[in-house]
Amino acid sequence: MAIHKLEVLVENEPGVLARVAGLFARRTYNIDSLTVGPTENAKISKMIIEVSVEGHSLEQVIAQLDKLINVIRIEEVLEGAISNAKQDTQPDYQN
Amino acid sequence: MAHVPTANGATMNGATSLVKSLEAAGVDVMFGIPGGAILPAYDPIFDSTIRHILVRHEQGAGHAATGYAQVTGRAGVCIATSGPGATNLVTPLADAAMDSVPMVAITGQVPSLAIGTDAFQEADIRGITMPFTKHNFLVTNPDDIPRVIAEAFHIATTGRPGPVLVDIAKDALQKETTYNWPASIELAGYKPQVMPNQGAINDAAALIASSHKPVFYVGGGVIKANASRELLELAELLGAPVVTTLMARGAFPDSHPLHMGMPGMHGTVAAVTALQKADLLITLGARFDDRVTGKLSTFAVNAKVIHADIDAAEIGKNRYADVPVIGDVRETMKVLIPALKAALAKNAADITPWLQSMNKLRATYPLGYDIPTDGSLSPQFVIERLSQICGPDTIFAAGVGQHQMWASQFVKYEKPRTWLNSGGAGTMGYAVPAAMGAKVGAPDTTVWAIDGDGCFQMTNQELVTCALNNIPVKIAIINNESLGMVRQWQTLFYDSRYSNTSLESKRVPNFPLLAEAMGCVGLACDRPEDVDATIEKAMSINDQPVVVDFRVHRDAMVWPMVAAGTSNDDIMIARATAPDWDSQEL
Repeated sequence: MAIHKLEVLVENEPGVLARVAGLFARRTYNIDSLTVGPTENAKISKMIIEVSVEGHSLEQVIAQLDKLINVIRIEEVLEGAISNAKQDTQPDYQN
Repeated sequence: MAHVPTANGATMNGATSLVKSLEAAGVDVMFGIPGGAILPAYDPIFDSTIRHILVRHEQGAGHAATGYAQVTGRAGVCIATSGPGATNLVTPLADAAMDSVPMVAITGQVPSLAIGTDAFQEADIRGITMPFTKHNFLVTNPDDIPRVIAEAFHIATTGRPGPVLVDIAKDALQKETTYNWPASIELAGYKPQVMPNQGAINDAAALIASSHKPVFYVGGGVIKANASRELLELAELLGAPVVTTLMARGAFPDSHPLHMGMPGMHGTVAAVTALQKADLLITLGARFDDRVTGKLSTFAVNAKVIHADIDAAEIGKNRYADVPVIGDVRETMKVLIPALKAALAKNAADITPWLQSMNKLRATYPLGYDIPTDGSLSPQFVIERLSQICGPDTIFAAGVGQHQMWASQFVKYEKPRTWLNSGGAGTMGYAVPAAMGAKVGAPDTTVWAIDGDGCFQMTNQELVTCALNNIPVKIAIINNESLGMVRQWQTLFYDSRYSNTSLESKRVPNFPLLAEAMGCVGLACDRPEDVDATIEKAMSINDQPVVVDFRVHRDAMVWPMVAAGTSNDDIMIARATAPDWDSQEL
C-alpha cells in the first residue's frame, strides 16, 4: 500500500484539525500519522499528514483537502525533497 | 457584493452590526425563528429593511432559503437560535450541500464563556455541520461580524455554490463593537478557478470534432452558472444529442429536437442509451452520480470523457476524465464554442447516423403510462395536465419519491430555474417550504409544489406561514396513500410485502380540511374528468395558498427503471420488460 507524505499549510484557526480529520474520516481515507506545528507566520500552521492511499487516487485526496477553505497549500514530500504534489493520473491543465 | 451606504466606523452592538452586514450583503429576505441565543439579533431585525418571514419550523426556513436561492440564483438566508433551532437546520444544510445551493445560515450560540459546558440549548453546530457546509464559522468577537458575513456570502455564492453557516455567540451579539464592512475579501485558501485552461479547451474541441457518437451530459452546474444560452449554442453547433440530469431539467428546452430527456435510474431509454453507447461524454457541470451511472464499471464503457466542472475534486472522483476542464461552465462554453468551430472546420466526424439512431430510439420508447382500467386517477396524467395547463413559465417544486420522478418526466421544462427538487440528498418534505421560498423569490410567477402524501405530512406546517404572509403557493398532493417509491421497491424486490408503507392518507388526514385549517383553500379530485377543472380552479385563486388532494391510483409505478446497483444496459421499460435491442442499430 502506497503511503504518501503531505505537507499542508493551514490557517491557524480553531477547528482546522477537526476539519481535516473529519474529511479523511468521511471520505474513508486512511491517516497513518498526523502532526501539527507552528510556522514562522503565527497565522499559519503546518500539518504533516501521512496518508495510505487505497482505493482512492492521491490526486483525489489532495483535491478534496484543497476544498477546505482553511487549507492554503498542499505539497507532497518526496524522498526528502519537497516537490509539487501532482502525482497525476489525470492530464494536468493547471494554469 | 451589494454596495449600500454603510455606517463604517459607527459604534453599535454586535446584533446591529450583524443586521447591517446582512443588508450590506444585499439580503432582502430571510426565513427564521427567534429564540434565546439569537434574540439580540431580532431586535434590530425589527427595524431592518430586510423582510423576515417567521416560519413554523427551522427546517422550513432552511428549505425556503434553498427554494429562494434556486429561483433567484442569489444566496438564500435562514436564521435560527442555538441548540435545537440550529440542529433543525441540519437537514436543509445537508440538502443544500448535495445540490450546490448558495445559502447562508445564521445561528445564535450560547454565550462564549458557556460554550463547552453543556449549557441550556447548547449544540456544537459548527462541529455538527462541518461535513456538509462549504464552510462554517463560530464568531465570539463582535468585531469579526462584518468580515465573517462578507466572507460567508462570498464563499456561498462563488466557485461551486454551497451552504455556509455562521454561528454567533450571544455575548458577541450583545457587546459593543465598531462596524466595519470590509472593502475586499482575502481568503488565502479559497480562490476558485473561473476561467478554463485554453490548452484543455483546444484538446476538448479536437476530441469533440473527431468523435462519431458524442453526447452532452448536462448537470445542474449549467443552471447554477446561468449557462443555458451557451449550452443551446454549443449543442446546435455540434448537433449532438443532449441529456439533462435531474438537477439540470430546464437547462435545455424539453421541446428541442436534440433533447433525449433525463438519464439515470428513471431516465428515458434514449437518454440512458445515449450515454451508454456514446464514444464521447461532453460532461458539463455534472458529477457522475450513482443514480445517473448505474453500476459504474459498466457505465459508458466505450466513451472518452470531457469533464467540465468548477470543482476540481469532481474530476476523476467517480470516472476518469480524458480531458478535465476546471472552470465556470459558462466561461468554459464561451471559449469552447469558437474553439469547436475552428476544430469542426478542420475535421468534422460524421455524427448523423448516431443522431438518427438516438432519434429512432426516442421515437420508439417515449415516456408513457397506463391508464387505470377501473376509472381511477393516474398520477402521471395529473402531472401531465398540470404541465400542459400551467405552461412553461410555471415553477414546479417536488418532494422526493415517485411523484418527484413523474414531475421530472411529465412536466415539460423549457427554461432554467423552473424545476426545484432535492436531487442529491433526497429530502422528503422539501417541496412545501421550497415552494414557499420560490414564491417569495419570484412573487409574480405561479409556483406549484408537486408533493407526495408522505412528504406533505413532513413539512406542511409552512402553509400557515404562506397563508399569513401572502405567499400564495399551490400544492398538488399526489395522494396514493403510500410511501410510493418504497412501495414500488417492495413490489419489485421484496415480493410485494408492504412493510410499513401504507399511510392510509385517503382516510386520515383529510387534506382539504387540513388545508382550510391552515388558512388555505382545500380542493380534492379523484376522477380523471375533473382534473382540468380542478387545476383551473386552483389557478384562479391567487390571494391564498391552494392545496389540491389528487387521490390517485395506488399501484402506478415509475418507468423506465435501472435497478439500484445494476448496469444501465439492463434498463427496464416496464416490469420484466427490456427494450427490444435487436431491432436497434447503435
